[in-house]
Amino acid sequence: MRSFFKMIKPLDIIIVLGLVFLSFVPTIIFSWNQTQARGEDTDLYAVITVDNEEVKRINLSKTEGTEVFDITSEDGGINRVEVKQDKIRVIYANCPDQIDVKQGEISQPGEMIICLPHKFVIEIVAQNTQADDLIISS
Amino acid sequence: MTNNQRIAYIALLSAQAVIIGLFERAIPFPFAFAPGAKLGLANIITLMALYTLPVKDTFKVVILRLILGTLFGGTISTFMYSALGAIFSFISMYFVKTIGNKQISLIGVSATGAIFHNIGQLTVASWIAKTWTVFLYLPVLSFIGLLAGIATGIMANYLLNHVEKLNYYLHLQELRKQPEAKGGRDEHASNLG
Repeated sequence: MRSFFKMIKPLDIIIVLGLVFLSFVPTIIFSWNQTQARGEDTDLYAVITVDNEEVKRINLSKTEGTEVFDITSEDGGINRVEVKQDKIRVIYANCPDQIDVKQGEISQPGEMIICLPHKFVIEIVAQNTQADDLIISS
Repeated sequence: MTNNQRIAYIALLSAQAVIIGLFERAIPFPFAFAPGAKLGLANIITLMALYTLPVKDTFKVVILRLILGTLFGGTISTFMYSALGAIFSFISMYFVKTIGNKQISLIGVSATGAIFHNIGQLTVASWIAKTWTVFLYLPVLSFIGLLAGIATGIMANYLLNHVEKLNYYLHLQELRKQPEAKGGRDEHASNLG
């Protein structure tokens, strides 16, 4: 055990701590951005894009009950999306890795579900209901 | 090291890295909460190369491993991810090793490599998805990356100290960096082999 501790040098610890900090930098920047953007009269929207083109925008705050629909990509990829109030998830996908299905529900602004084989992205954005033309791009 | 020895050594390292990579793919990944994360055991070989070969040859090992690994069981999209990941991690490991020199052990170098591999992959992912918010996934990946990186570093440390040939090459590599200044140590190093 002592030889094990001798192996670790002081700069190792500094570097590892630095890396831990580095990996949270995107989260910090993003949550800071979101708090700037979020006001009183905001609704949660789920924006679904395929190949960087918006195909559907759902107001999650006003959804009642459960909605299920399929999103088809050009190459025959299918993602079945289930929407409940304030939540959205993918319940079926015909891609090999199934990462989007395993991810489960998302509900917070900034969270995303991504299915890279189909270039399919669901992103939750907080949008001001008073000024609908204001689009938060991030 | 003669030229032939060097070529054989590069080939040996790349072959080992490919096999470790294939072997790792066969292990089912136990952490369900982080899809996409990998242990990155093949990084051991990159570390070995980094410490026992000149930069140019280390780069050859990395590139060979990348291409062969893809041929043996990858697709174009996995190639793109691992290509940028491998290049990022190689550059960062070399950088950290150079500035740290004697102050840093293999553990720090390996952890850096692991994180920058993830950053490289996420860069490709964010380029494909055309949104940089993919980087919000970084903490999850880097948590596993750091643990695996530290473990890999410890493993590599033992290998480098206890496998005689690797240790000998390490000495050769250190001598090459300071050729004239400590020419007297040449004899000592060759005794090791």
